[in-house]
This record gives sequence, C-alpha cells and structure tokens, in this order.
Amino acid sequence: MEQVVANGLYLGAQYALIALGLTLIFALMNVLNFAHGQMYVLGGFVTYELYGQMHLPFVVALAASAVTLAVLGGLIERFLFRTVIRRSKREESTMLLAAGVAYFLDALILLLFGEKQRGVPKIVSGVWVSDNLIMPYDRILVGFLAVLFIAAFILMMRYTKPGRAMRALAQDRVAAQLMGVPVEFYSLVGFALGALLAGLVGGLLVAITGVNAGIGGPISIKAFMMVMIGGAGVISGAIAGGFILGMLESVGLSVLHSYGDVTYLVIFAALMAFLSVRPNGLMGKPWG
Amino acid sequence: MSTSARLATLVIFVFAVFVAVPVLIGLTHRTDFYYTLSSVALLAIASGGVWLTFYIGRINIGQGAYALMGGYVSAILVVRYGVSFWITLPLAGAFCAAASVLIGLPILRLRGVYFAMVTLVLTEVVRLLALALPITNGAKGMVSLPPPGPISLFGLTLVPSFDTFAERNEAFYYLSVAVMCVCFAALYRLVHSRVGRLFVALQQNEELASSMGLNVPALRVLAYSISSFFGGIGGAIFAAIAQSVYPSSFTVADSVNFMLNCFLGGLGFVFGPMLGTLVLYFGWDLLFQAGQYQLLIYSGVMIALMLVLPNGLLSIRPLNFRKRVRPLIWRRS
Amino acid sequence: MAPILTVSGITKQYGGLVAVNDVSFDVAEGEILSVIGPNGAGKSTLFKLIASFVRPTRGEVRFKGERISGLAPHIVARKGVVRTFQETTIFKGLTVRDSVIVAHHLRSHAGLLGFYLGTKAAREDEAEFGRSADEILEFLGLRAVADEIASNLPQGSLRALGVAIGLAANPKILLLDEPFAGMNHDETRRAVEMTRAVRDRGVTLLLVEHDMAAVMRISDRIVVLNFGAKIAEGTATEIQSNERVIEAYLGVEDETIGV
Repeated sequence: MEQVVANGLYLGAQYALIALGLTLIFALMNVLNFAHGQMYVLGGFVTYELYGQMHLPFVVALAASAVTLAVLGGLIERFLFRTVIRRSKREESTMLLAAGVAYFLDALILLLFGEKQRGVPKIVSGVWVSDNLIMPYDRILVGFLAVLFIAAFILMMRYTKPGRAMRALAQDRVAAQLMGVPVEFYSLVGFALGALLAGLVGGLLVAITGVNAGIGGPISIKAFMMVMIGGAGVISGAIAGGFILGMLESVGLSVLHSYGDVTYLVIFAALMAFLSVRPNGLMGKPWG
Repeated sequence: MSTSARLATLVIFVFAVFVAVPVLIGLTHRTDFYYTLSSVALLAIASGGVWLTFYIGRINIGQGAYALMGGYVSAILVVRYGVSFWITLPLAGAFCAAASVLIGLPILRLRGVYFAMVTLVLTEVVRLLALALPITNGAKGMVSLPPPGPISLFGLTLVPSFDTFAERNEAFYYLSVAVMCVCFAALYRLVHSRVGRLFVALQQNEELASSMGLNVPALRVLAYSISSFFGGIGGAIFAAIAQSVYPSSFTVADSVNFMLNCFLGGLGFVFGPMLGTLVLYFGWDLLFQAGQYQLLIYSGVMIALMLVLPNGLLSIRPLNFRKRVRPLIWRRS
Repeated sequence: MAPILTVSGITKQYGGLVAVNDVSFDVAEGEILSVIGPNGAGKSTLFKLIASFVRPTRGEVRFKGERISGLAPHIVARKGVVRTFQETTIFKGLTVRDSVIVAHHLRSHAGLLGFYLGTKAAREDEAEFGRSADEILEFLGLRAVADEIASNLPQGSLRALGVAIGLAANPKILLLDEPFAGMNHDETRRAVEMTRAVRDRGVTLLLVEHDMAAVMRISDRIVVLNFGAKIAEGTATEIQSNERVIEAYLGVEDETIGV
C-alpha cells in the first residue's frame, strides 16, 4: 500500500509539472498545445545528449533542456501562433497549427535522434528500503526536484510581476490590455514558460525511464486527461489532475495488473462519468 | 448555383468517378490507383462524419475510434461468426452509432477544447480496448478476412463475388465510391433540410436553441451518432480492403487527419471533406519520394498553409460562391 | 383570475451565497408583471429559475398548476413558458427571417425524419412557418431587415429579434430579460409599445428589468427584490410609495423612482 502511494506521488509530481505547462498555455492563449508531448520528448533528448553522451553534469543538462525548450517555445509563439491567432476567424485554427507543430517536431526528433529507446546512466545509485517500501534514490531525487519546480512555479505566478501579469491575462485578456499589461509580450513569456516546463520534465524523466521518439503523442494525451480532471486553464486544477492521474495509474497498475492493460480503460470510463457530473473538471470555470 | 447547374455537376461527378477514372486506369495500367482512390473515398466518408460534428459546433478528434470499432465489428462478425460482409457493413455502422449514443450523452455536454480533448482520448482508449479484449485478438489483430461474397436476391446475382474480379481492388473501388456517393448525398440532404437548420441553430447558440423548445441534447446525439455511423462504415470497408484490422489501423494521428481533411476542404461546404481528403492523401503520397523527410515536409507545408490561409482552402474560393455558403457555419462567440 | 404561473418559496444557493431567497408570487393570465431590484438583487437568477435554466435549491415554479422546476428548458418551452435573451444571444450567422423560421420548431407537425424526407406534412409546415415568420416580423417592425445576417443588426432591432424568436415558439407566457436596458428615451418608448402589443396578442408577460421608468409605465404589477428576497409587491403606485423599496434603491445607488 505504501509502495503504491509512493509511486503515485512520484508519478503525480511529474505529471503535474507537465499539466502545468499545458494549462498555462491554454489559459493565456486559449491554445490547446498538441505539441506538448513532443516538447517533452525534445527536452528528454537534450538531456540525453548532454548528460548521457557528452557527460556534462546532470544539472547543466537539465538547465540546457529547459532553456532550449523555452527558446523554441518563444519562437513558436512569436512566429506561428501569434500570426495565426491574428488572422484566423475560428478557434480550430490554432488547434490545427498545434497539430502541425506536433507533427513537425515528431519528424524533427526522428531525424535528429532516431527511433531507438535512449537511456542515461543513473544520476544517483542505491535504493532506499524500509519495511514495506522500496524506492530507488534517483526516483526520490527526481520526485523531489519536480515538487520543487512546482513550488517555484506557484511562487512565481503569485509573487512576481510577470506571474501577476500572466494571471491577469488568463483572467481577462481585454481587461489586462486595458490595465496596461503588454499582452503580446506575456503571451510569448507564457508560451516559453509552458514549453520550458515540458522540457524540464523531459530532462528529469530521461534519467529514470529513458526517452524515445514515439512517446510524444501518448504524453500529450495523458496531459489532456490531467487537465480535464482538474479543469482547463487553472493552476491548482493542473496540479490536482496530475497527482490524481499519477495515483490512479499507480493504483491501477497494482490492482488491475492481473487483468492486463486495462488501467487506462478504467481511468477513461471514470473520467467520462466524472465529466458528465462536472463538465468543467474539479476546479475549472464554466466556459465554451 | 441553380438546380440545373447542381444537377449537371452531379452528373459530371458521377460520370468521372464511375466511368472516366476506371477507363483512365485501364488505359494507363496504373491499377494501384484503385486502392489509393478507394482509400480516399473511405477516409472521405469518415471525414464527412467529422464534418457533421463540426456542423453542430463540436471539434471532433475521435473519428479514428469509430473507424477502428467499425473495422473490428465487421472483421469479428465475418471471421468468427461467418456472417456475410454485406450484412456486417450496416451492422458495423449501427454498432458505432449505438456506442456513440452512450459515449455522446455525457461528453457532448462539453464544448470547445474540452470536447476536442475527450474525443482525442477516446481514440486512444478504443485502441487500448482492441489490445485488451480477448475477442479482438490483441496486437496480432484480425487477419485474412475473406473478400466479400456475392449478393443474390431471388436467385439473381446483384453483386458478383469479389473473387471473380481479376483486379479485386477494382471491385472495392466501385464499392467505396458508391458508398461515398450515398453518404454524401445523405449528408447533403440532411444539411439542406430543416434538420440541418436545427443543427446550425445548435452550432450558433445552444441555450437559445433550447429556449425555443429544441431538444438540444437529443439533437446533438443524433448528429454525433450519424457522424459515428459514417466512421464505422468507412472503417468496415477499409478492413475488408486491407483484409485485416489491427489496433494500430486507426490511431490518434488518423483522428487528427480526419479533422484536417474537413478543415482543409472548408467547414462551410458539405463536399469539403471529400476535397480535403483527396488533397491531403495525394499530398502525402507525393511526398513519399522525399523518404525520411516526408513527415517533415508535410507538416512544414501544413504549418505554412495555416500561416497563409488560416481559414481553410475554400476561403480562397470566388466571392459569389462564398456568399452562398456563408450562412452554413459561423464562428461561435 | 387563476394564476397562470406560481412561484412559491423559490431559493437558489451557490455555495454559501444565497442568490434568491424564499421568493413567492403569482402571475395572472394576461397581465404584465415586472420583477425589479437593484444590481445584484438576484433578478437574473430568478429569471433563470423560472425558465428552468437553473435548478432551484428549494421551492418550485408551477405553470398552470403543473410543476416545471427541474424540467429541461426545452420541455418547459414546449409547455408554453418561453424566455428571451439579451441582445448578445442570437444566431449570429443566420438571417433574421431564418432565425425566426427555425424558432417555429415547436409548431411543427412533421417529425425530423419527415423533414429529412420532405414529406407533405413537412412541406406544409415549412410554408406555414414562412408565413408565420413574415407575420411576426411585420408585427415587430423587422420586415425591412428580414434578410440581414442577425449579427449586422443595430441594438434595437436585436431586441425585437429576440422577442420575435420568442413569439415564434408560441408562448403562453413570455419572459423578457431586461428588454429596455441600454435604450434611449425614444427606443424605450417604442419597446414599451411593442411589449404592450405582444400582450394584446394574448401572451402573458413577465419582465425582469432595471429601467424603473419604463417598468412603472408598462406593468400591471411589480415585484421588488433586494438581496435575493422579495421586499414588496403591488401596482406601480403602491411600489412608488413603498418605504422599503425607496430605502433599497437609495441605499444602493442614487436612482430616482418613477416617472
């Protein structure tokens, strides 16, 4: 039991971080970032190259993942999304653009890194063992780092000027503009930050599970589920959704293990039932 | 367009599809086009379904789920129970429609990006289901589907067994294209009848629609089940052509492509999904030459298209034409 | 006269906030009854409760003796309780005439399949809807803009379009959501005339309104809300001299009461 909870918390922390990036981009720009999983994969490969291949310190590699994705995210916002949002008449357009970007990144990743599963040496070795709990140290460290990043993100959104500006933007774009918030600049910052978070988790998780070019799509789908559970565009919702999904997965894998690969079926069925009662998720505001 | 112009277009289209294309293929001996064009026709049917969900104001990225479901229903009935393909075809559609009623009732309450996300997840779930269920044979899939047999009525053979065709895909071509014509004719009639107007009312404002007495949930489910019916039919014939169906036969990428087909063809135009499917499918095929750069170039072009024409291919159609089509679909506020 | 609509003890809570608190009143057939109150008094929640767009926490609404609270909005509309929306809620992409024709759905004899197949009944329905729509548009002075796309209409015409859509559903009682809000003197005068004309067609009217002057002129009776509760009920003259009403209005904002 303790083992299941510990695994769930560890998974949940990673998931929450992924969902935070997705929900931030959604809240600021009303864009469903299909390419989120691909950004995650890209972050994983950057850390793989720097830490796994070039043997730079893990922290440096992780920072490089974050920075690379932030820059990429900024560029994508500035040159793609901004243009399409300005010219388009329909909300589907940004969704299609995001799908295009996802495909593009998929192709790029495949060309650059190939389709093999890649892993890196353990960042710390050893296993923590107690009566009814076994947890490798590297998982503990990665889980701890993820929680740290989540905390840093929350503090930033709450207490810094860019954080407040972005929250104002998420609340009401027009009002924020009238209040003198440079809307375009903070859209760019928000997108870059969202991508950064994806890259960061990618870099973190490559140390545990490794990375391969094909997992971008499935990761995006998981991220969508978390956001739906918690409520789209809400920070607390993303965190809650991440931890809930992590926990469900952990419980499902241990309880439903004997029935084969049905965990996700059960989770999805539960999600549908839940959404029919609360269409806006746990903490989402009504919209649409 | 006047009635006579529409009739002329229809005649030309039917002639092109049933006479000109087979003759051209016969002359050039490019029989591989039978398979390619059958695929286009089937994907267009599924895309037509997605188009209908767009029409009630929902972004549907879940058609892959129903195509896969349809493929499996037909394949399982044919292989395990020895049912004739011709009977499984409507059953596959009906099964998908029924499933979509159950799934649609809760999820159609969602709007916008929320609905899009759930449908996307649905595609993945059906794939997982196909992997997990005993009856679907897991990752190995259903293989060696026999070709459709003859249809006979009172001893009269209406459709010969597909085995009797020298080029089996030629038979499938006629089947796919015929079903496509029927589906789009039905869709056209739907959109231009009062039912279509009611759907537009939903698309534009569900609250207002319910205030005037429209049973909004029922109408939404109706549109969604028709959409899924199309998906199931398309998937079933696809399985028959490929003689197999796997969990990976229709994936999230296919669901996204169905949506792309609709969007590229134009959401205000019933035949848009057909055009979009044709362009995208052949675009993708042409890029086959590019080898490993295929996806990169394809997605690059897609992004470029979005930048240049963010409102779809048909947004460059002539002005007088646009005016006719305009009231059909509109951005919700 | 027997009441056509009875609101009894209706209450709506959102979390800890009581938006509408134990409100009761009757609407008599053929009258114009207005619900007024300062901003945030719970008017629009009450409105949604009556049209059954929101479920009450407690209490109920009865229409001709039959409980309608908790029914789906389209069923309530079928029974003859039809609401209008403020002008932003329209079918933006449809023409004025098409909007009104679509709104005739409740009067159709043919089923959906009939309409799909174009049966005789469906064709007759269509013809009848067209005639009726033209009559309604004429009646509300929208004939000239019948073929305009609704989103291109000026504000005043949008209000009329809202009423036209409501009338097309053949209501016994029509609920009007702030029909005079944001109108100048002249527009209000015309809207008041229009509202009376609608009543003269035999439709009972329930208004939720902020504009006191117009309400005083048009209403047979008035119900006043404050902080979610009913504080007064009566004719315009009674309301104008009611201490609690004056207090409520003066307490919230400096708005003069009456004409």
